[in-house]
Amino acid sequence: MLSVQNLCKSFLVGGEKYPVLKGVSLEVKKGEFVGVMGPSGSGKSTLLNSISCYIPSDSGKILLGNLELSQLKEEQLARVRNEKLGFVFQDFLLLDGLTVRENIMLPRIIGGKNVPAMEKSADLLCDLFGISHIKNKYPADISGGERQRTAVARALINNPQVILADEPTGNLDSKSAQKVIDAFLQAKTQLSATIFMVTHDSYAASFCDRVIILKDGNVQMTLEREEKERREFQDALLDSIRESSEVKES
Amino acid sequence: MKNLTAVFATLRKKGRGQYLLLSGCLFFAVLLITAFSMMMYSPTVQTVLPQGGDSRKQVMMIFVLAVIGCGAFSLYAAGLFFRYKSREAGVLLALGMSRRALNRQLCREVLGLTLESCGAGLILGTPLCWGIWSLFRLFLVDTPEMLFIFNLRAYTVPFLFFLFVLFLLLIMENRFLARVNVLDIIHESHRPEPVRAVPSWYGWGGILLIVLGGSLGYFAPSFCVRVLQWYAPGLLTAVFYLPALVGLYWVLLFTVVGGWHRGKRRYAHLIESGMMQFQGRQTVRNMLVVTVLVAGAYFASFYTPMMMTSSQAALKNREADYQFFYRADQEMISQAEIQELAQSYSAQVVNYREVSSITLAIDGETEVETEGPMGVTYTVQYQEMRSEGRFFSVSAWNTLARDNLTLESGQCIASLDRYGYPSSISLVTNPVTGQSLKVETLPSPLSSRLLSDIYLLSDQDYAQLIQGLTPEWQEVQVVFDAENDSYALAKDLFHRIVESSGPETAVFDGYDRISKMNAEKAGEVYWGDQVEELNLPVIDLTRPDSSSFRTNWLYMPQFQALDEGDFLSTYAVYLLLFIFISILCFAAVSVILYTRSQSLILSNLWVYEDLHKLGASAAYRRKTAQGQVKRVFLAPLLTGTVLILCFYLLILLGNGRVWGIDANEAVAFAVCLALAAICSTLFYLLYRFTLKQAWRLLKL
Repeated sequence: MLSVQNLCKSFLVGGEKYPVLKGVSLEVKKGEFVGVMGPSGSGKSTLLNSISCYIPSDSGKILLGNLELSQLKEEQLARVRNEKLGFVFQDFLLLDGLTVRENIMLPRIIGGKNVPAMEKSADLLCDLFGISHIKNKYPADISGGERQRTAVARALINNPQVILADEPTGNLDSKSAQKVIDAFLQAKTQLSATIFMVTHDSYAASFCDRVIILKDGNVQMTLEREEKERREFQDALLDSIRESSEVKES
Repeated sequence: MKNLTAVFATLRKKGRGQYLLLSGCLFFAVLLITAFSMMMYSPTVQTVLPQGGDSRKQVMMIFVLAVIGCGAFSLYAAGLFFRYKSREAGVLLALGMSRRALNRQLCREVLGLTLESCGAGLILGTPLCWGIWSLFRLFLVDTPEMLFIFNLRAYTVPFLFFLFVLFLLLIMENRFLARVNVLDIIHESHRPEPVRAVPSWYGWGGILLIVLGGSLGYFAPSFCVRVLQWYAPGLLTAVFYLPALVGLYWVLLFTVVGGWHRGKRRYAHLIESGMMQFQGRQTVRNMLVVTVLVAGAYFASFYTPMMMTSSQAALKNREADYQFFYRADQEMISQAEIQELAQSYSAQVVNYREVSSITLAIDGETEVETEGPMGVTYTVQYQEMRSEGRFFSVSAWNTLARDNLTLESGQCIASLDRYGYPSSISLVTNPVTGQSLKVETLPSPLSSRLLSDIYLLSDQDYAQLIQGLTPEWQEVQVVFDAENDSYALAKDLFHRIVESSGPETAVFDGYDRISKMNAEKAGEVYWGDQVEELNLPVIDLTRPDSSSFRTNWLYMPQFQALDEGDFLSTYAVYLLLFIFISILCFAAVSVILYTRSQSLILSNLWVYEDLHKLGASAAYRRKTAQGQVKRVFLAPLLTGTVLILCFYLLILLGNGRVWGIDANEAVAFAVCLALAAICSTLFYLLYRFTLKQAWRLLKL
């Protein structure tokens, strides 16, 4: 489904080059819920922004099915973002001037889709994520959890091949975060969505099928949940994070 | 909501505050420029302001300043608009909208908004100009020549401004969208405007540079003319003002970023200083524009009190109620007719005096100009017959001025000229016979203020020089007072004098027959005859009440009652124009200050939220917001006001033949100070209003 091969990205700061991704490779299968964790500065957000081509990578390949995203032209990339990718951001990025329902329909409107069908889809997603009662409200009038569930619904309206989520629970309290995680799980089970989520939160990551740990711009390890209990998987994640955060003495 | 157009319409509706700000600024800019341009291009103003004259140059300079100011706040509002739109654009791009589609939509928005607001400004600019014009005529002065005439050419400048703004908006929009990184666009609205570290000596160093640049710029032109004998091009001498501009930038930067509160007191202003540091660049640019506009507005405002005070003082200091002179070859109204006319107005002519005078050629130094690539240079050349001079015999003068002077043959007394400078001659020549007489000008000028630009000769010399002089070189001077004087009498007498004057007297007050003879001898066309080419004042004897006639006719009588009564109408066009300019500049300043203050608060909303979370009381946050708004207002207003007052003071000190201020100038300056105080009070009210709006935005 999604394949990242030897991805490199560096930033120029004050004339000096700082490598952030140093040849990252990973695979995400269809229907999989994959998390990416790592300490601050490990390159999690840069990885996500490079996959979505928000920032251009220096080298490496990003394959979505058979499409190599980094080779696409502007217009083609816009089409891929609209039809094959769904995005959920930490600070929601809903348009304040549109209602919840209008925000959810936005990707379809951009794609110039059939109006009655998109209204129906938006209503279905509102029902699925429990936000039907606020669908005519504006983002300023709803809670953080409701905003993020709106963003998840927006990401799903075009039935994308992959949902890319950047710290989706980062700005939420535990109750709202749980509702967002439930929304992702519902999307995965009921809509067979593929989710690629960057997070700091071991609790949110513990619901993933697989968690990739990044450190200093490289994949340090991958943990599979398999048949583990969620709490057991979270403990394993915390141990791995703790281990990766320790500075080895030479 | 069916398509993207509907999405944009909805977003426009919800974000109407930002749309209103931009369209309001564009509307206001085009409205002011159209109104100003309409006034500038009106035949009335074009006729009254002589081409190449100082008044026209001053008006054009302020007009250019106002256009720059309007351009600055329009672009600033556009910048704010794009910052606001950046989040929407970023989200739409992130959700898969192509740049081309987004560009199309944004272009449509910008085009629509610019067309609507600028179009409204273009249309309403003319009624605004007409409205101010009519109010002026209704409440201040109304003269027949002050007709408001619509001129299509006046739309050229605002239309060019509209094209310029549209062009820049589209460039800004393209640059904004051209950024590769979507995340940059999304986070554009949170991008600070950094300022480099500001050294602590920028404050006082800036003030020093302002003083240095101001002095250099002020004295450079006269240094070039007097010492180097070079009329340097204006642009070249303007360069000397540059240090003042740099100094102004330093002072404003220092004020905005660090502030004058150093040492322990700086902690009291730490938050606002910190916030201003990251909003610095734009703020300082805005402040520079405001400072220059404030200076321009005051410059225009001071014109009226300066002119009125000095003219009123000159009127009050006149030694006779009525004085006029005419060529001896004219069939003028007689003493008996004047007395009869006065009686018909129940007035009585008293102290009637009538003496003759002659016009001779006087010697002196003239400037021979040479035009070169670096401007005009000149050499001083002595000429035996340089220009005209009006002469009285000493006994005639004693009769006229009730004086008791005596002169030996070969002696001469000169009065001060119209600018208050003494003159000295050594040779006089009869222009008809060519007979010359060497004279010695006595060092003390004539003390009487009755007439200026005249010379006295001994009766013997006068009698010798008048021999063979034809009547067109001789004049009759009449002076009298009137009991129970009235404006109606003065006006009637003035009209009779004009009616009695032949077409040969229809010349402006700079016309000189000796200079004309010299030009003709050299095979040149005398400049005074090139009325159309040089746009010189046209003297039309059939329009004696026109401003041009009253201010420029060579034989214009000086009647106290007439001049007092018609003072406003004679200078009405100047007053109207300069008052209008100051209104326009002050309005532009108010818009810039208000929008900048509001945007500054808006862009720092999150800081105030953080302060609230950190436990800052409402009073503290109110004080911090006040500190920010105060900086935006105080620094440019104070700097602009002080600078222009210093500039005017310098002009007054340098005016006249002695370095200093006379009583009239002191009164004029006091009126300017009072005007500055009134305007400052109005700005204080605007500041309070803006501050209240800022507190409202912060929910304080």
